[in-house]
Amino acid sequence: MSFTFSNENLLKIEALKKRYPSPKALTLPCLWMVEYQEGYISMDAIEEIAIHTDTPPMEVYRVATFYTMFHLEPQDKRTVQVCKTLSCKLCGSDEILAHLNKKDLNIVHAECLGSCGTAPVMQIDDVNYENLTIENVDEILKALK
Amino acid sequence: MRECKIVSRKFDLKNSFTLTVSQAHGGYKTLKKLKEYSPVEIIHIIKDANLRGKGGGGAPVAGKWELMPQDQEHDKPSFLAVNCDESEPGTFKDRQIISKDPHLLIEGILITCYAIGAKHAYIYIRGEYHQYQKILQAAIDEAYEAGLLDACDITIHRGAGAYICGEKSALLESMEGKRGHPRLKPKQKEPEWYFGHPTLVNNVETISTVPFIVENGADAYRAYGTEQSPGTLLFAMSGHVEKPGVYEAEFGTSMMEYINHYGGGIKNGKRLKALIPGGVSCGVLTAEEVENLTLDYEALRSIGSSLGTGGMIIMDEDTCMVSVLKNILEFYHEESCGQCTPCREGTGWVDKLVGKILDKRGSKEDIDKLLEVADTMNGKTICVFAPSVSKVIVSFIERFRDEFEEAL
Amino acid sequence: MSEMVEVIVDDQTFHAEKGSLLIDLLIKEKVKVPYFCYHEALGADGNCRMCMVEIEGQKRPQIACDTFIKEGMEVRSKGENIEKVRTNILELELINHPVDCPTCDQAGECSLQNFYMDYGLHDTKITIPEKEKGLKKVDLGSNVILDQERCVLCARCTRFTDKITGTHELGIIGRGDHAKVSTMPGKKLDNPYAMNVVDLCPVGALTSKDFRFSQRVWFLKTVESVCHGCAKGCNIYIDHNKIKYQDDVIYRYRPRRNDEVNGFFICDEGRLSYKGLQENRQHEIVLDNEVISEDEAIEALKDLVKKYKSNITVIIDANLYTEDIEAILNFSKEIEANVCAPLDIYRDEDFKDDMLKSAQRAANYKTIENLSLETKIPEKCELLINFNHPGKFEAERSIDFRTHQDPDAAFILPLASYVESSGHITNEEGITQHCQKALSKNDPLPTVIEWLEKVSV
Repeated sequence: MSFTFSNENLLKIEALKKRYPSPKALTLPCLWMVEYQEGYISMDAIEEIAIHTDTPPMEVYRVATFYTMFHLEPQDKRTVQVCKTLSCKLCGSDEILAHLNKKDLNIVHAECLGSCGTAPVMQIDDVNYENLTIENVDEILKALK
Repeated sequence: MRECKIVSRKFDLKNSFTLTVSQAHGGYKTLKKLKEYSPVEIIHIIKDANLRGKGGGGAPVAGKWELMPQDQEHDKPSFLAVNCDESEPGTFKDRQIISKDPHLLIEGILITCYAIGAKHAYIYIRGEYHQYQKILQAAIDEAYEAGLLDACDITIHRGAGAYICGEKSALLESMEGKRGHPRLKPKQKEPEWYFGHPTLVNNVETISTVPFIVENGADAYRAYGTEQSPGTLLFAMSGHVEKPGVYEAEFGTSMMEYINHYGGGIKNGKRLKALIPGGVSCGVLTAEEVENLTLDYEALRSIGSSLGTGGMIIMDEDTCMVSVLKNILEFYHEESCGQCTPCREGTGWVDKLVGKILDKRGSKEDIDKLLEVADTMNGKTICVFAPSVSKVIVSFIERFRDEFEEAL
Repeated sequence: MSEMVEVIVDDQTFHAEKGSLLIDLLIKEKVKVPYFCYHEALGADGNCRMCMVEIEGQKRPQIACDTFIKEGMEVRSKGENIEKVRTNILELELINHPVDCPTCDQAGECSLQNFYMDYGLHDTKITIPEKEKGLKKVDLGSNVILDQERCVLCARCTRFTDKITGTHELGIIGRGDHAKVSTMPGKKLDNPYAMNVVDLCPVGALTSKDFRFSQRVWFLKTVESVCHGCAKGCNIYIDHNKIKYQDDVIYRYRPRRNDEVNGFFICDEGRLSYKGLQENRQHEIVLDNEVISEDEAIEALKDLVKKYKSNITVIIDANLYTEDIEAILNFSKEIEANVCAPLDIYRDEDFKDDMLKSAQRAANYKTIENLSLETKIPEKCELLINFNHPGKFEAERSIDFRTHQDPDAAFILPLASYVESSGHITNEEGITQHCQKALSKNDPLPTVIEWLEKVSV
């Protein structure tokens, strides 16, 4: 299965190249484009990124595995990042996690999502849902369907 | 308690994130004044104000600015990298700035770039802040349209989930398209380097404080805070507190007064048991220690902790300190970049050791071992990640040893 | 050359270049300091944190691979404090290590094991049974097997494919204590120098598929020699052993550092060339399909030389030792033979690269050139005496001295190979190097010189 960037992304890549001293800097931006375009990062996409960033594919691959937000496999379920770090834990993230674990979701135990003042929090599709309770978690998930 | 809003002045305004509202309330006003000063004079103002880095370290900002070459050759232009990788647990202040007053940050960037001779600023933002990144990007777009960014470009660079990228050299590695591995420290004072270009790395709040100082002068800033920790900080509270959130206060404010005044006291009228002062990397404190403590770098250091980012995590009387330490160590175990041995192996080991104690499988030797590993992790690594873990462990065992022993 | 300054290490004064790396000085002066990640060919990476030393005036111990020499620097590499630091860091390296030394091929030449003997030797304080898991036997390609659990993540192998070969097959993926060395999914380690990562690996994470489980390294005997795979003359160690009731055989070649010639590395083809040396050897003297005795052979050879007097051509292989070549020249003069050493046949442009591999695949061709020997292929002559030259030449009658079998040879006399004798060769850059005799076979074959002594008229 081969991979190609969408025309829109190709234009973005060309525009971004002008904003950095080296095309290598585009590694993370390109990985993000692939993540949004395909839902995950395939090895073919890594080869393609390597060409645009003038970087060996292995270098792109090791970068992709370093950051937790990239998926290297296709996702068949909705990913929910639930913060489990201290402030959220103190405010009841354990119960939220236990509740969410019963559902057919890809639950990621995330480290601090930066919503400590509005804990507990979960992130779905880049949006933080804060001040969670068992009740509003169900409402949020229902509204997203 | 004196109200002081230097960075958070426009936070409560309706549509505060727009250019119109920002400009209606004095946004970008300093840019006109900027021409009155040479870049070196700007650095002097910052130096006179004794602005200290607000990302956690508290180092004098002007010291870093002065390392930037003023007579930069054309082929290696300087850069500014704004650190918006806010990932320290308990810290959520920079996100307030970028979502409530992004133009203040942009204004600060323009002044900073002028002072250090940079023509391009990157804002490295953590991957999890995408919804705030969109607000920031919209503000940057507005600024471009209004011709405010004619002399200086701003590009947002998105991270993708790695706490260590908040460390300045790891941040630059990440921005160079690599794994976020901190670099070996230089032997002499020199700027940071981005693809071989001299680069200044500063935190969002630090940069956002610059417009006030340039507009009102160093003395106006020093009018707040203490002699050694002048000015204000976006302190924050989370955990067992009635009204968690970010509230700007001057350095030297009484910690308990701050918690009671802004935070409405401990949640459900319970008693305070422990407090972590500025993100989990700062040593834990007991209620007694906090009682007469003030919020400034010197006071926190004097009792063996640190002010960090000013993001306080508050724990009430029912909190199990073993499980709190376990939670913190899980975080570090997950986030260690794995580059150097003491951190890579040590974070896993201490996490498992405390897990063992928490599961009531531990022995007294495990507590000793925990302290011994903590000692090995201190001062022997490339960056300060492992030493922070080490200090956190020691602070927990020193203050709550009985709880650990009871759990055996 | 920059300024030389005085440095004191453990009360001893040394001189070193100002600004050079402290670890280089310690290695040069044989001051014992443990390290995994540093390697002189790969430079400093600073990740293992093992090479800690105390430096006067510094609050904390410093890693020697990231310390630059300064005038009057005082260094302590020994003492209770610093050794405790090393012991503790070493203990961290061991928590996720399987400690499967009894079944590990690296045992006996493992840095982790050696450092444990130097700085560890403590009862284990590791009280958590759970270790990070990894793959135990990944065939990376190019004869290299990876055991992820034994890896200490020093990144020598990945830096080798990044910096030395520029082929970038290896990398560290994941992070924290889940980080692993790997290739990209579906990709192999594939470059002509790949097996050097086995030598670079300080532990048993990367082992040679060719060598693993064949010998315990402490049984091996090592001699210094030079690879005969091409004219580059890469320096090697030959590891051999004679197991009771068996013959002396070579188990592996390893690169031997020589900054003038090959640096730290050798190519895989050269490394594995020992195998060809031990296969299809000619052991008997055969004349017209009949095995004959040495005396009969000498008699037959002398007869032929007499019969074809003044119509003899001697052919010399450009891989023979200079000593052998000189003996052949003397013999040729004695029997009034033409001498010839055709070189074209060795030329292999496909083999050549810009690292170590030379297109001239004859170890001692430079000596042939230096002696101004005839290198054109001889026209048909009456008697041809070939000293192991790989070419085929027309002649009425041939005598072939051969290390390996040759089905076309009518009169074949077996010859010791270069690892069964000693001598000198001169590489393409004109550097003359000595090769030690490695093997003492149960039934040794004569060398060129020994044969010529026997047949001398």
